[in-house]
Amino acid sequence: MHSLNWTSRLISRALRSSFSTLLDSASGATTKGAAKTTPIRSRPRFVSVVCGFAKDNLRHKYKPGKYGEDSWFKASTESADVMGVADGVGGWRSYGIDPGEFSSFLMRTCERLVRCTHFNPQRPVNLLAYSYCELMEQKKPILGSSTACVLILNRETSTVHTANIGDSGFMVVREGEIVHKSEEQQHYFNTPFQLSLPPPGHGPNVLSDSPESADTMSFPVQEGDVILIATDGVFDNVPEELMLQVLRDVEGERDPVKLQMTANTLALMARTLSQNSDFLSPFAISARRNNIQARGGKPDDITVVLATVAM
Amino acid sequence: MSLLAFGGGAEDGSSSDTEPDALIDFTAMLMERKHECNGGWFSCGSKLQSQSHEDHGYYLGQYVLGVLDFSSQYGIDYSISYTAANVIGRPTKFPAYGDYPETFTMRTYGDWWQLAPSATQEIQAQNLPSLPTHDFIVVYFEKFVVPTEVAIFETFNPGGVVRIWAYSITKRWTCLWEAKPSDLNQVPHDSRRFAPPLKKTNIITKTLRIDFNHSRLNYYTEIDAIMLCGRTVPMRCMHQLLAPVGKRLGNTGEESGNGPIICKLRTLKFQPSCQANDAVKLHEFINNDLSKFLMDSHVESEQQKHNSTTEICLTDLPCEILLKILSYLDLKSLFRMGQVSHLFYDISTHPLLYCDLSLKSYWQLANSELLCTLARRATMLRKLDLSWCGGFGEISPTEFKKFLTQRGDNMTHLRLNSCKFLNASCIETVGIVCDNLIELSLRNCTTNPPLLNFSCLANLKNLERLDLFQTAFESELLLSMLESNRKLKHLNLAFCGVSVNMDNVATHLATYNTQLVSLDMWKAHFLSARGLQSLSRCQQLEELDLGWCMREATLGDSLYQLLFNCPKLKKLFLSAMRGITERDLMHIATLGKNLEQLDLMGILNITHERVYDILVHCSKLKLLDLCFCDNFMDRDFDVIADWSRLFNVDIKNSRIYNSR
Repeated sequence: MHSLNWTSRLISRALRSSFSTLLDSASGATTKGAAKTTPIRSRPRFVSVVCGFAKDNLRHKYKPGKYGEDSWFKASTESADVMGVADGVGGWRSYGIDPGEFSSFLMRTCERLVRCTHFNPQRPVNLLAYSYCELMEQKKPILGSSTACVLILNRETSTVHTANIGDSGFMVVREGEIVHKSEEQQHYFNTPFQLSLPPPGHGPNVLSDSPESADTMSFPVQEGDVILIATDGVFDNVPEELMLQVLRDVEGERDPVKLQMTANTLALMARTLSQNSDFLSPFAISARRNNIQARGGKPDDITVVLATVAM
Repeated sequence: MSLLAFGGGAEDGSSSDTEPDALIDFTAMLMERKHECNGGWFSCGSKLQSQSHEDHGYYLGQYVLGVLDFSSQYGIDYSISYTAANVIGRPTKFPAYGDYPETFTMRTYGDWWQLAPSATQEIQAQNLPSLPTHDFIVVYFEKFVVPTEVAIFETFNPGGVVRIWAYSITKRWTCLWEAKPSDLNQVPHDSRRFAPPLKKTNIITKTLRIDFNHSRLNYYTEIDAIMLCGRTVPMRCMHQLLAPVGKRLGNTGEESGNGPIICKLRTLKFQPSCQANDAVKLHEFINNDLSKFLMDSHVESEQQKHNSTTEICLTDLPCEILLKILSYLDLKSLFRMGQVSHLFYDISTHPLLYCDLSLKSYWQLANSELLCTLARRATMLRKLDLSWCGGFGEISPTEFKKFLTQRGDNMTHLRLNSCKFLNASCIETVGIVCDNLIELSLRNCTTNPPLLNFSCLANLKNLERLDLFQTAFESELLLSMLESNRKLKHLNLAFCGVSVNMDNVATHLATYNTQLVSLDMWKAHFLSARGLQSLSRCQQLEELDLGWCMREATLGDSLYQLLFNCPKLKKLFLSAMRGITERDLMHIATLGKNLEQLDLMGILNITHERVYDILVHCSKLKLLDLCFCDNFMDRDFDVIADWSRLFNVDIKNSRIYNSR
């Protein structure tokens, strides 16, 4: 029930800031017209690619937009470029709920919201929140939970705003150094913060974090910055130095083909390492820190969204 | 080298002459597209444009840029699922067929709402055309065109469109197409791009209104996109046309559909300017010379008939009979009758013919002058329906207030659905003047700030029906109105939004309005089990719509209490109440003896046994909605069809599978 309360608070706040789709699309048309008359200075944009693997390649037929239980989206408008990933929490399978449905829906709706409505490029948290509210307006009941990470590039101001809930995350590389990185949000080990819609009756037993608990960050970007958004399948299996090596090679790259090759490399790296049972992965390291004897990689869905900033 | 297919006027005659003014410059189009930013949702992708030829028009196909108004939608306004905003831009799902949230869906389907306890009677029903409009949507596009085609992309249950209107730049509405009853018969059960043949016209428009009629629809109809194709108008012609309207009134080229009488009526403000002499002359002519005149101008065989006519004519009948005859006429014909003669003018302006007044079917003609004229005649006004009128400023709020002040004292029924001219002082006037109101309908009057935050409405104490569908209001006002109107029977609070706490409303209803017969809380928020339980004190309830009300909230005992205490329930909508358990379904079967319409869309954990139970025990059941229910897959289609036949119940069962 408490999730119902804060969503309604959110909706009333949205109404007060006139989020109504119709009002804004009408005014959006006129402002669009006005914007067109100003000359287009060099505005940054993302050159972005995606790659990934489902954990269980055999079971999951490939569907665009998802890798197993992970899901991603990319969208771009005149004023912003948006990317995001979501990782469905697998524990729902035992309740007969498909974990990939929630994350997939979350991402699809984010994409639609970016396209259809006038959203605020400063607040990716709002995007997540509205997407979550949309979940409840679907005829088909969608249950489950997932982590999420959304990144918006505001083209007017060349700033990136991010919102992250859970253990997916992003990383920004500039001149061979990691300049920004997201923090993993966890309640306890292997239990990340998550947006969830539990089946009725299970409400109190299920972890459900509100979008407002997301970690937000805003920072300016420069031409040539490399931005990586990935689910925990990548961050848990590939050590940071290795990722840095791969990413620094692709700084300033504008050719989407080369970028795709790098993304493929990263994804494949993550997959191979996850299957490796002897390798001391970052997951194993943090497990040991929590007094769990683990070694080897963590088999998981892998999603890599890789972008460079081009002016 | 650019490819130019060009045939217009004095240019070369060797190229194809089938399409005058068609201009396709591919290279220019490609160059332009590259420069365009990829912000494409609103961009009219199928535009064929050449910058160098602004002098001549070119053919253009464009998708909706924005929505100005709509009468109802399935989703709530801040959502993008099943709402009117989905009509904007390119089609997202077409040609797929199914029930998708990325489309525009309206609130009702079929005749079920007419059969429910909350159904209303149309005021002055003789005004309605043979296919009355149930819902509409007004959309606008980017460029002015002379329309040649309007295509509507229907992705679910096509066949709802009955009329297409266009708003020309001379501020007139023209009907571009109207459905005949035969059109609605052969409708495929598949998605379609519906482009009916439009009336040939020269009007220039970028605003369309689409009218829908749901009677023949099996389930919701869904629209994915609307496309307006036509020829654009060169700049210089536009400037000419945008000259003041007064100059253009004489030009009947655009008004090809309207006869001389309508034009005359408009200019004369519906007042026949007959002098006494002329009227008498006409009267005499009709009485004495008409038969001779007819004889002279008809063929031999008919002469015999006319020779033997008696002298009795219409005007010999007593006034009361004439009044009775005229009372069957629709409003337009009534005005025309007044043009016939002095006598008929007197009869047709008799106040008894204006007790029930509805301008809903004439929304495109209604304006302040008409209201003024009607105010003079309607001295015994009881029921007024101004729904859908005045959308583009044709009716001024002052005129409306004057009308109400003059004629509103004895009004019992007032319907102002989708009236865009309403402002706060209008509502105030309603509250002050019309204190005999039994029915007040203010559907779709959402403004920001909400219109209904004036305590004047609390003056109304005799209300039996209050309809606030899709209208925002202040909770305090509603609660005080509930307290004052103890005889309230029908209450519609659908889409009232997050500012209203439904539990409070429910407790008020239980305390003050126990005569309640129907209650609609579709997509209301903050109704909990406690609220539902308090509703069970309204034991006269026959209709209860709790769709999307409680979402995931657990119901506990509340549904059982409601069913137990309200045995008269005929219509119960529990769409998307995910907290319903199997026990609740068992209670529905045992306690819902009078149920006729039951909506269980999107309920989780519903089993075949429970549904069968319900079908067996609820013998009066006519409609059962099981769409998006867990255990009813497409493979159960046959079972459902069997049950439907066996129990004579219309069972709805549609679901879409993941398209991705």
